Amino acid sequence: MTAQRFFPFALLMLFALSLANLLFGAVSLSLHDIWQGLFVGSEQHFTVYEYRLPRIFLAILVGAGLALSGALVQGVIRNPLASPDVLGVSHGAGLAAVFYMTYFSGASTEWLPEVALAGGICAALVLWYLCGTHSSAIKLAITGVALAAFWASCIDFLMLTKPLEINNALLWLTGSLWGRSWPQLQALLPWFVLVPFALGLSKYLNVLDLGDDSANSLGVSPQSVRLLSLAIAVALTAACVSVCGPIGFLGLVAPHLTRKLVGGRHQSLLPASMLTGACLLLAADLAARTLAPPIELPAGILTAIIGAPYFLWLLLRMK
Amino acid sequence: MSRLFRSVSLGLFLCLGLLLISWWNLFAWSVVPVSGADVLHAFTSFNDQTIAHRIVLDLRLPRLLTALLVGACLASAGAIMQGLTRNPLAAPSVLGVNAGAALGMALVSTLPFLYGALSTSIAAMLGGGVAWLLVMLLGSTWRVGANEHGRLVLAGVAISALCAALTKAVVIMEEDQAAGVMTWLAGSLADARWQTWQAFWPVALISLIGALLIAPSLNVLQLGEDNARNLGINLLRSKLLGSLLVLMLVGAAISAVGSIGFVGLIVPHIARLMFGQDFRLCLPVAMIIGALLVTLADTLSRAVTYPMETPAGAILALIGAPFFIYLVRKRTL
Repeated sequence: MTAQRFFPFALLMLFALSLANLLFGAVSLSLHDIWQGLFVGSEQHFTVYEYRLPRIFLAILVGAGLALSGALVQGVIRNPLASPDVLGVSHGAGLAAVFYMTYFSGASTEWLPEVALAGGICAALVLWYLCGTHSSAIKLAITGVALAAFWASCIDFLMLTKPLEINNALLWLTGSLWGRSWPQLQALLPWFVLVPFALGLSKYLNVLDLGDDSANSLGVSPQSVRLLSLAIAVALTAACVSVCGPIGFLGLVAPHLTRKLVGGRHQSLLPASMLTGACLLLAADLAARTLAPPIELPAGILTAIIGAPYFLWLLLRMK
Repeated sequence: MSRLFRSVSLGLFLCLGLLLISWWNLFAWSVVPVSGADVLHAFTSFNDQTIAHRIVLDLRLPRLLTALLVGACLASAGAIMQGLTRNPLAAPSVLGVNAGAALGMALVSTLPFLYGALSTSIAAMLGGGVAWLLVMLLGSTWRVGANEHGRLVLAGVAISALCAALTKAVVIMEEDQAAGVMTWLAGSLADARWQTWQAFWPVALISLIGALLIAPSLNVLQLGEDNARNLGINLLRSKLLGSLLVLMLVGAAISAVGSIGFVGLIVPHIARLMFGQDFRLCLPVAMIIGALLVTLADTLSRAVTYPMETPAGAILALIGAPFFIYLVRKRTL
């Protein structure tokens, strides 16, 4: 599939999935109900406008953000196994946020994205310190995974030693879109200012694929492109994690899938990955809400169930 | 001579440490005050009316015994796995056996058509077995080669993630007691009573003896597959036997106290560091150190959030993950 045919198709998918997310759930609505629900005073106003609509927007933003970070990281490190969650950045951000929420229980959640960002940056720095710039793909992935396990065990430890705050933190942590609404959307939206910058980098990322020497002779500094892309990736991941917790494997799977469909040119790969990520998360959230209503599964569980086998498949193919 | 002396004195030192920590575990950080002397009196002159004596014998002792045996089981399982795969990073928690066993138990205790069909320890073994089989096939480790080590570990991590996601999904569908399930998944000894111990010790003891019996063939396996075959070892048989033992050890431990990680990773390395590569010596030593480590973690688990309890598994994971990173850094993968 070429890029020209991918974008209309993906947009159509996105629209269809959004509509399905509005229609189905614990109560199924008709198209007429949804139209009515957009206006104040109708019976379905709460379900449609306060509950399902912001959640759809969030799924689109978070999915797009995580997929874009994954595409940037894979482009920079040129490691098919890399993604913010495999490298432990998501869980580092998560740990910072849980720490903030358990130890400063009176503090406002307004600063959560910034705290998560600090955690994500620290996690990335620790990984960089441990691995340096020239580690094999598998070694980098193992160290990242081990770090992720360490951050996760710190999170577990905090939550188990502070059982009073556990429900609050667990709710936030599971990688779920449940209970998120307009305020979270408002907190997340400013971070997407970074997206145009990321897209602007795509030209340089293409040059980077030719190798460092070629990049240098073409007047592109590989180091600064790498640093900038990684910084944007970490910031976007942390912002997404601060809203709905670590959603596993999305940042890994979406760029791979997209690369198969539209090829490796970053000008089309980056925006196309964002669309794929948004569609995947919308689909995961739809399944999470409708598999066993009224119980909600965290969407992160579903992405892991799809993503982990995909990771194994990548591993098998790697030489 | 001096080497023998060193080994013997190290061994004695370990046994003494084990005794001391066991004694400490019986009285430390108890909500109802129990003194060290109370523990000794409870054994020598038991008095039914003294609360401290009853706490020691009814609550603390089964918990201590379970902790000792769980530690021995997990440590020897890790040592056998490292011997079979010749991979220093192999361990039940790393290669997906723990997560698979937890998934097996979650399935059997929540799905109505499975309920009562299997005992939880059998379910844990089956789940762990399926997970390990998948990891082995995907990590292509039966064709052992140095460069396959990392792949095996990543396959284990992915299978673990998959099993953990499925376990959570099953648990959320069936239950909404988030905190209780979290505690169980993190592995806690707080609920170990005499019943737990009685269901646990026969399987554990048999598998531990089995582990000691296969130690010589593990030694031969370290020479490489071709050499081992030339020396008359039936490779398939010893690998299957070793795998079965690992599953029994891990399944029994997990069904008794939940998923405790990283003991199987750390302890064999410490044992090798102290006593060299010989599995005939390493395995029993690993059992002792494992018992020591888990008992220590259990004692600390009462101290961290006194008067409440923190799962021992959560404390072990805090030590274990950095150790894992250290191992990855040390080896060239």
